[in-house]
Amino acid sequence: MNQRQARLFAIACTGIAALAFLGLTVDSHRQFPELTNADAITPEVSAGQDVWHKYNCVNCHTLFGEGAYYAPDLTKIADLRGEPYLQAYMRDPAQFYDEQRHRRLMPNQNLSEEEITNLIRFLQWVADVDTQGWPPRPILVATGFAPPSREAVAADQPGVEQVELRPVTPESDPRAIGENLFRSVTPACNACHSLTEGMDMAGPTLAGIRTRAEAIVGSDDYDGDADDAEGYIRESITDPSAHIVPGQMYSANDMSFMPNTYADSLSEEQIDQLAAFLASYE
Amino acid sequence: MRYRSQSVAYWYFAVAMVLFGLQVVFGLLSAVKYLGPDPLLYILPFDVTKVIHTNLLIVWVLTGFMGATYWLVPEESRTELHSVKLAYVQLILWTLMGVTAVIGYLFRYGTGNKLLEQPLPHKLVIVACMLIFLYNIGMTIRKAGRFTTTEGVLVLGLLSSAVLYLPALLHYENYTVSIFYRWWTIHLWVEGVWMMIMGSFLAYLLIRLSGVDREVMEKWLYVIVGLVFIAGILGTAHHYYWVGVPTYWLPIGGFFSALEPLALVGMAIYAYTAIRRAGLSHPNTLALHWTIGSAVFALFGAGLLGLAHTWPSVNRWTHGTLITAMHGHSAFYGAYAMIVLAMITYAMPSITRTRNDVSSTLGFWAFWLQVGGMFGMTLSFATAGIGQVYLERIVGLGYLDTQLKIQVHFLMLILTASIFSVGVGLFIFDFFRRAPRAEVLPETEAESVRAGGAAPPEPAGQAAR
Ligand code: HEM
Ligand code: HEM
Ligand SMILES: [Fe+2]
Repeated sequence: MNQRQARLFAIACTGIAALAFLGLTVDSHRQFPELTNADAITPEVSAGQDVWHKYNCVNCHTLFGEGAYYAPDLTKIADLRGEPYLQAYMRDPAQFYDEQRHRRLMPNQNLSEEEITNLIRFLQWVADVDTQGWPPRPILVATGFAPPSREAVAADQPGVEQVELRPVTPESDPRAIGENLFRSVTPACNACHSLTEGMDMAGPTLAGIRTRAEAIVGSDDYDGDADDAEGYIRESITDPSAHIVPGQMYSANDMSFMPNTYADSLSEEQIDQLAAFLASYE
Repeated sequence: MRYRSQSVAYWYFAVAMVLFGLQVVFGLLSAVKYLGPDPLLYILPFDVTKVIHTNLLIVWVLTGFMGATYWLVPEESRTELHSVKLAYVQLILWTLMGVTAVIGYLFRYGTGNKLLEQPLPHKLVIVACMLIFLYNIGMTIRKAGRFTTTEGVLVLGLLSSAVLYLPALLHYENYTVSIFYRWWTIHLWVEGVWMMIMGSFLAYLLIRLSGVDREVMEKWLYVIVGLVFIAGILGTAHHYYWVGVPTYWLPIGGFFSALEPLALVGMAIYAYTAIRRAGLSHPNTLALHWTIGSAVFALFGAGLLGLAHTWPSVNRWTHGTLITAMHGHSAFYGAYAMIVLAMITYAMPSITRTRNDVSSTLGFWAFWLQVGGMFGMTLSFATAGIGQVYLERIVGLGYLDTQLKIQVHFLMLILTASIFSVGVGLFIFDFFRRAPRAEVLPETEAESVRAGGAAPPEPAGQAAR
């Protein structure tokens, strides 16, 4: 091979690849409207996208897995947590996370209510984009740890977290108090329930519980007393056997294995707070 | 230095060195925030330190490219630069642009679009600087009427970099489409046209340092360019998998991006054979270290560690984790930081008042501390990233809980980054402790033979007849 041939090789490679790339780009443009629900890009969504850019969100978070790795991916956040929760969170992240516990906290961005609404519209649009099945399983913000085994506690093993809780006050957001209760009541809810999709422990996972509860309440074979998701969650806490979730490891003889002591040990208000917290998982 | 106007390179390199130092400071600040809690949460939060870190990187590397080009073109074309004054005007504009952009970021004045955060006025100044630069280089070459392949590949790479920046000036209504075109700039830069720039610097340095035959080197330079583009253009799709594009980009991106390391293997072989054939006779052994180091580290960081997560079935799990940061650091450093440092080290004896002691012990400490430190940082990001992928993506533990579990890797990161920073500090010190030199040096006979021309060295100032 001489110089001329080598140059020809370079030019041919570049030309062919560029041509193929441009062709596929044109075809992608043909498909973008459908894949991204482009007709759902309302002025609110666009305004929300501007909020996303203006506050430099992408330099802590990722969206579609692109951005910075200091804070969780938000591609599907609007699928995972409901709008009221996201609103409350954006007003004051410190209500829900504790810098001492996780060593990181999102600084309050001081968004206006309008900005918050638009941002949520944008994130809802993002969550509906066809991402070819990504992420393969939900990326959660915080699940908490399953409580340590009795043996580990007895041995006082280093490295085993004694579940540290984000401190709350009576003024805290009810969902934040509910999260605290989820891990601190006796027996702790998270001893048996995860918030991770597909991760069933002694009890079924509570990821997406709001959506499931709504479906159960609306279905024909439901014969409990609740008529909305939060009501169903409250009922499951105080009267676990009112509706039986199918599964041999969850119940026998129409009696749920879940403890039925919470009706006595928790106050009405606490049960509301737990329900508010869990209902934020859509 | 054979041509007086080559001395503009010194001032470009000086600016690059200052910005490099600042980049590393902001990198360290960002890394410390991983450990938390952050006392500066409301003064200098992570998003601000990170955006400054990455923008300084881009600006200093480009400053280095420009300086190195102003150094290389007069020598290859055997003439003085078309206009030294224009080169200084360009540098001043460029530096002002960079400095005001960074100050703006402190107040969150930016577009919030990853790596393209420069506000529109700054983007326009960038374009203006590129135009001045390309005009100055173009006129120089035109006047000389002499044009080597090395130089041609370099200028074509620079020109294409400017063109590929243009999509970044537009606004897109659809976030997916904006990502799609963001990669035309970012990916086609680092895995396309910047490779042409790196390849030509590498060719230039190898020809000068090892005295290997120019014909052979330039032939293989073409082959490398061909490999870069046959793989790199369609390889853009390895950023498209999950952002809302048609399914066919998955196999296409996987296949072609998996071919991308070929060009990097090519460059490493290139360097190796040049040294084997022609030996290590050049006195500037430090420049040789940086040159070979760059080829090898780029093969490791970009080729091997890029390949590691480029296939869709792997990327599905690793996408957007610290694994990406592992690769981003080692690739950028090996390919672009090191090649600029190689050009600086090569030019140093001529543009500063040190003829022969450039390969000082201090210089070697700077080299090894940087290379060792960056290798350690790569391992730290890698171990942190593997932990993250397993716990967060596979097991399903929450993001924040996972980050707590990998704190030890962040400690390791800060430790190795500190070692790296010492190396950077030494390099910068080594650069600035020498005074710039303005007078022209006569070239030795050996050097002029390596320059590849049969013609005897022409006296400065007369080349542009
Ligand atoms: C003291 C040395 C350094 C430290 C401690 C450091 C630390 C960091 C940190 C913490 C980030 C943010 C990652 C995230 O988004 O969560 C980052 C991003 C980045 N840094 Fe550095 N860095 C250093 C030096 C460098 C050098 C020398 C280069 C290149 C030559 C570089 C290139 C980059 C790039 C390209 C990114 C963006 C990566 C991505 O988004 O995937 N850094 N760095
Ligand atoms: C010198 C060459 C290279 C440089 C400087 C470089 C740099 C980078 C940077 C900075 C990123 C993060 C970009 C962002 O998220 O905004 C990235 C991502 C990526 N790079 Fe490279 N890269 C190079 C070569 C390669 C090669 C040769 C391959 C494949 C063989 C590769 C595969 C990837 C992949 C798959 C990603 C996406 C990671 C993710 O999904 O999060 N890179 N690269
Ligand atoms: Fe890429």
